[in-house]
Amino acid sequence: MLAYTLTRLLYLALVLVVMSVLIFLVTQAMPGDVASMIAGQFASPEVVQAISVKLGLDQPLIVQYGRWAAGILHGDLGRSLVLEQPIAPILMEALARSLVLAVVALTVVAVAGIGLGVLAAVRRGKLTDQMVSGISYLGIAVPDFFWAIVLVLVFGSYMKLLPTGGYTPVAEGVLPWAAHLVLPVVTLVLMLLARIARLTRSSMIDVLQTNYVKFARAKGMPESVVILRHALKNALLPTITVLAIDFGLILGGVVVIETIFSYPGMGRLLLFAIQRHDLPLIQATILVVSAAYCLANLVADLLYAFVNPKIRHGMRTA
Amino acid sequence: MTTAPHTRSAVPPVAVPAPASRPAAPLLDVRGLTISYGTGRGTLRAVSDVGFSILPGEVMGLVGESGSGKSTVAMAVLDLLGEGGRVESGEILFRGTDLRRLAPAERRALRGDSIAAVFQDPFTSLNPALTVGRQIAEPLIRHKRLTPRQAAVRVEELLGEVGIRDPRRVAAAYPHELSGGMQQRALIATALGCEPGLLILDEPTTALDVTVEARIIDLLAKLCDSHHLSALFVSHNLGIVNRICQSVTVLYGGVVVETGPTGRVLSRPAHPYTKGLIAALPRITAERRARLPSIPGTVAKLSGPPAACVFAPRCPFAEETCRSHPQEMRAEGDGTGVRCWKADALATTSWPDEGGTAPRRGALPARSAPLVEVEHLRKIYGASTSILPWLRRAGTVAVDDVSFTIDRGEVLGVVGESGSGKSTIGRALLALTEPSAGTVLFDGADFPQQVRRGDQTLRRRAQLVFQNSAASLNPRKTVGQAMERPLVLAGRGDAEERRRTVAGLLTRVGLPAAYADRYPHELSGGERQRVNIARALATDPEFVVCDEAVSALDVSVQANILNLLAGLRDEMGLSYLFITHDIAVVAHIADRVLVVYGGTICEEGPVGRVLRPPYHPYTEALLSAVPRLAEDGSEPPRILLEDSALPPGGRGGCAFAGRCPRKLGAVCDEQAPPVRETDQGHRIACHIPLATLAERAPVFPKLAGGDAAAR
Amino acid sequence: MTAASPAPRRLSSRRSALPVSLVVGLVLLAPLLVAAFAGSWIAPYPYDEMNIMSRLQPPGPEFWFGTDEFGRDVFSRTLVGTGSSLLMGVAATALSLMAGVPLGLIAGYKGGRAGEAIMRAMDVLMSFPPILLGILVLAVTPPAQWKAIVAIGIVYVPQVVRLARAITLELMQEEFITAARLRGESAAYILFHEILPNIWPPLAVEASLRVVFAILLGASLSFIGMGAQPPSSDWGLMIAEARPFVEQAPWIALCPGFALAIAVIGINLLGDGLRALLDPRNTGSH
Repeated sequence: MLAYTLTRLLYLALVLVVMSVLIFLVTQAMPGDVASMIAGQFASPEVVQAISVKLGLDQPLIVQYGRWAAGILHGDLGRSLVLEQPIAPILMEALARSLVLAVVALTVVAVAGIGLGVLAAVRRGKLTDQMVSGISYLGIAVPDFFWAIVLVLVFGSYMKLLPTGGYTPVAEGVLPWAAHLVLPVVTLVLMLLARIARLTRSSMIDVLQTNYVKFARAKGMPESVVILRHALKNALLPTITVLAIDFGLILGGVVVIETIFSYPGMGRLLLFAIQRHDLPLIQATILVVSAAYCLANLVADLLYAFVNPKIRHGMRTA
Repeated sequence: MTTAPHTRSAVPPVAVPAPASRPAAPLLDVRGLTISYGTGRGTLRAVSDVGFSILPGEVMGLVGESGSGKSTVAMAVLDLLGEGGRVESGEILFRGTDLRRLAPAERRALRGDSIAAVFQDPFTSLNPALTVGRQIAEPLIRHKRLTPRQAAVRVEELLGEVGIRDPRRVAAAYPHELSGGMQQRALIATALGCEPGLLILDEPTTALDVTVEARIIDLLAKLCDSHHLSALFVSHNLGIVNRICQSVTVLYGGVVVETGPTGRVLSRPAHPYTKGLIAALPRITAERRARLPSIPGTVAKLSGPPAACVFAPRCPFAEETCRSHPQEMRAEGDGTGVRCWKADALATTSWPDEGGTAPRRGALPARSAPLVEVEHLRKIYGASTSILPWLRRAGTVAVDDVSFTIDRGEVLGVVGESGSGKSTIGRALLALTEPSAGTVLFDGADFPQQVRRGDQTLRRRAQLVFQNSAASLNPRKTVGQAMERPLVLAGRGDAEERRRTVAGLLTRVGLPAAYADRYPHELSGGERQRVNIARALATDPEFVVCDEAVSALDVSVQANILNLLAGLRDEMGLSYLFITHDIAVVAHIADRVLVVYGGTICEEGPVGRVLRPPYHPYTEALLSAVPRLAEDGSEPPRILLEDSALPPGGRGGCAFAGRCPRKLGAVCDEQAPPVRETDQGHRIACHIPLATLAERAPVFPKLAGGDAAAR
Repeated sequence: MTAASPAPRRLSSRRSALPVSLVVGLVLLAPLLVAAFAGSWIAPYPYDEMNIMSRLQPPGPEFWFGTDEFGRDVFSRTLVGTGSSLLMGVAATALSLMAGVPLGLIAGYKGGRAGEAIMRAMDVLMSFPPILLGILVLAVTPPAQWKAIVAIGIVYVPQVVRLARAITLELMQEEFITAARLRGESAAYILFHEILPNIWPPLAVEASLRVVFAILLGASLSFIGMGAQPPSSDWGLMIAEARPFVEQAPWIALCPGFALAIAVIGINLLGDGLRALLDPRNTGSH
């Protein structure tokens, strides 16, 4: 297990390096020039040139990358051109809000999705199964932004039950904070629930046909024990992986949903940076988002290995 | 003799005086059991009107080939038929109570408690996510209301009872950390836990190696005896049934064709099918036949009650009556029943024999250079030289310094258990895997090297017949397309000529030429294996590797294929490398044999010599583990091997040292054993002196005489 | 079937029963396909005809699904948008298949250094969240629909490569591939005649699901302004444009939303049906 984790961490570091180079190169190719943006629309070419020299933008790309990367390693993500603030605190704040969204939404998805999936698998082919399948189809049939609009319309505009957008910090009261979370979370759940339920259902059906489930029944175990202790434990492996990856996705910002609900998470920050051509902010955000995604992938693999005794032991002895 | 009353059990209660000590009320009494499966193409009758009874303390064998319905019966007793399976009618009386009348919860309460089961594949029967101890404890906690702590104590007792030396470690282990034999012991411990009255054993040793199988069977026999257990023993292996069962019921096409005491049924079979099944079994002791008696055709599937004798289409004794009237069970004394109206008339008639005897050949006179020469072959899998120190691996030694030759027209058998490296040897010979060291010469040319250089011409001369007849044919190509391709590659003839060649090849392997238009899934397993052989023959090869080519087939089909292979050898002068785990098959078909263990050759020589002392200790153990029929002579004292030891190979000593019952000491672990020649090319690699090895009594004293001599 | 039965069974017998989901999927998709190819001819109004007099009209006899803020007929725009939306999905999927299948075949068949290099490159690509990769590609230059298609295509290449490689690896273990090597077939023959015919059924199923993801991702990109550009009619774009008016005129968003739902459900059912149809377990006569 330790050797495996070490290898994966080493690999993650490598991927992050490659990614940072890619991000740096791509953002360099973006239209817009940092020096002229700082100087403003009406600055003379001399002024722009001066700023360029001052920021080191006239130096070769490799040197610029080196300075940028070195800064990141020291925790310095640079300064936002548009917001005119250091990027790190802004990013941390957005990341924290995305984290809240991810934790709440995925808890709901995990509980409901696994429950529905197991139910559908156990009652395979019966009415319950078909109903779960039907609901699953609804969830995946329509893009998340469409659900978001419908939810805003129904709960916000017509029923006036919930705020349709924005965010208030917990400090200003738990209730308003929670109220702002409800609609984005429900949208996310609608989007993710179907996949988790279907995945759990199909792996559960596979496991229910295995010999060890048959043997558990031959031992006279009641169905509840067969399903929960013998089958579910093995059926959950793929589901756990997908949940962890989804976690990374939400952490990295769900651009569309955050935009619709004006939720100030990573996604909205990224879109804001791109729309305003704030190159340092774009670079930093994309890097953090990708790192979060990679990390979630790593956690997914480690979790998978940890839950699966076969892999866990194989790695210990290897 | 009377006909059994049809309405009641198929096996009427026989008027045999019961043992005085206890009443003869059967523990399990199955009557008129009919089971069907709903499939996409309508219902399939898996079991028709099956009846039998098991007395307390009796082990009854339920034998039959695939599709006979034997496992279905076992699952019906357990109420675990699975999706689509339905008991149409019949009674399953356990201690006098019809299980079918019980509520599901009541049946569940019996399962694992009074009726326990052990299934075929121990690895898949254990839950990979739970420790072995926990899985054994489950029924104890459930049925016997033990606390987890009490259960843990009992688990260790049970593991000790099934012959596991360190119960504590095994209880804490996960299934994948145990060997197959240990896993099966754990399953048996689970079944014994609640002290059941009846064991359902569904092919409990089929997935295991022969030496492990022998130990498990001995254990089961001992336990049934000491616990006064009754068992329903489902198996396809007559030798195993002979070893453990007091009575036997033979199923064919979902119908009981014969039942009776094991000794009588196996030595004097009454039903033609039983006769054929026993005759078709390759045996070590029987006089070597040029051809095995075989049962033509394949099992027919029923969709309703049988309208004729189910076996009539394949029966050489069938008459018009057989094809128009369903047969009824005819009971005789001593619990015997036969479903054949001609049984009495056929009492002294045995199954037709197709060929004469064929004395075993000794070493062939060296006429010319051997066809295949293998020198110091070595193959290591999974070696890795990563820059990360913790990812470096030495790899697993699959084949370790193996040398041998195959003469033209010779059949060389390779016998070994799983992990012996026997398949790797075959693949290396055909340049399908690159040897890590050593040379493989085919007719004097370095085969792997030629292939590496892109020269594939030798491929036409050396071919392979696979074990899995289904997987070796591309499902999306017709038989004709599959067979034509080697001809195209060899540039033989135009389309019309190739078509004729394909038709000729199909005829040669005993299939209608029209089969060229069929897809593989439209053929039976035996037919597919014939297609595989025909395809291998397409380019007139001189050498064919048969890698477990008959292992996946039923006995009756296996005999057909073995006969076909023997016939082709005689007609075309083919050489075979015959790889198998079944020493009886090798004894039947091979001229010479290599016994391999852990990637090394333990013993080699003419078949007749290898079957007699002096034996390599592993050969001796292997032979003593072979299940045998009554007429093969009484069972010898079994040489018991540990279920498994460290992964063998590549440690400098003898590969077998870890499991060897006759290990001398450190010398076996540290030094490679010397290879000593007895005579006639018979060599043994062992530290024990030949004279000492020769002192052992023969495992098969009744070997047919004179066959060790060179022709 | 016994050995004696003479007439070889033809494949036709197993094609007789089409899975229900396949039929329903096709029925759902048929009108969309018609709209995709003939949308501008059947549409009651030109998709870009503005009419200030009839802004934000609710559904009625004149405008079946109402009008948008420029007085354009929502139904006509949805019809015409079908082509654009489906094209995004189909073209992007085709792109990822064209790049991914050969790479996956090579990685699976060859293995070794080349295979390793391909898989590591795919790992890096997979390290980006899908929509982020799209945004990254699109943010470099001014947005356009074809760029969105390319971006989505690239996003899904790694998944296709992985699947193609996994199936190839699995097939490589099959004995009929060994049989092909044994008779000295070339790598090209094995790849194209032995492996490819067995790889396309699962790929077809995968492709149908990819189209769904691609359509949804395309709609999302259009929604945030990085896909189809105004004034063209695209479902994602239409929903984005409808957002400010959603309280006054929800129908503008609903019509393309329903169209999307029908497309997605239809293709999903088609995929499920294909899976059932192509499953080898359903084709045998045993």
